[in-house]
Amino acid sequence: MKGLNIPATEKSPRVLFDTSNYLFEIQGNSRPENGRDFYFPIIYKLRKHFEKIIDKKKIEAFNEKCFKFNFKLDYFNSSSAKFISDILILIKDFTEKGLNMKIYWYFAESDEDMKEVGEDFSDMISMPFHYIMIER
Amino acid sequence: MSLDVIDDILHHLKTYLFHKQHDKMIRKRVYSLSVECLDNILKHSDLNKEEHELLISYPPRFIVEKIAENFIIHTGNIILNKNKDAIIPRLDKLNNLTIEEVNKLYKKSLANAEISAKGGAGLGLIVMAKTTKQKIKYDFEKINDKFSYFAMQLNLKK
Repeated sequence: MKGLNIPATEKSPRVLFDTSNYLFEIQGNSRPENGRDFYFPIIYKLRKHFEKIIDKKKIEAFNEKCFKFNFKLDYFNSSSAKFISDILILIKDFTEKGLNMKIYWYFAESDEDMKEVGEDFSDMISMPFHYIMIER
Repeated sequence: MSLDVIDDILHHLKTYLFHKQHDKMIRKRVYSLSVECLDNILKHSDLNKEEHELLISYPPRFIVEKIAENFIIHTGNIILNKNKDAIIPRLDKLNNLTIEEVNKLYKKSLANAEISAKGGAGLGLIVMAKTTKQKIKYDFEKINDKFSYFAMQLNLKK
């Protein structure tokens, strides 16, 4: 599989970047010891992949499907929030360059703060999110 | 304070909250505030050997107090006076904002935050104000020309 499949730990989320299935998914808790070391390679990989599509003028073929970004986070600390916002800004940039992408923001039924932070992020990048409530 | 100690404290806190606090949202807010507080304490704990001796009189403090349905988190740590001068205006600014303004500042800061050498995004205090929706109480006690003791109190009301 081209992309990434990073298993979750107690402090860092599971990250799946499956280019053939048009899926990026981040799930779990994010309080990594070094946010930069954890998130930079992920952001780099995402950027490289989408840049390649634009450089090779493959936008039309890419857009036959929609690339899905699933954010299924239970908890993240404030420095992780910064890196999550970097990923979202990247999504916004590539959407503006013509790529078909959608953001799905999951939150637990009991966790109104997680929904609110999704709304903050959505506001920040001026892009609509699809909110999905999960029962827990 | 080391990362292992923080992990240990957070683990105990999680267990405590699971048994003592049934409201999941409050549970999560207490946890999330605690992470930010402990991260702050850790960030300021790289003292040299001579300065380490100050820790005997001024140890790091982290106390979670549950009073009826509300929580109070007390923190304390040694801080460089020059950092104190940078923190005070930030705290005063936050304490003078309405909740809506804090939320606005949070969104703005998320987009513009730079990660420091110590890995912080400078968002911790804003998250504390946003989560508690209360003023952040604080106090500085001068230790000597170089250091002060920074005490903070967060109130989380149900």
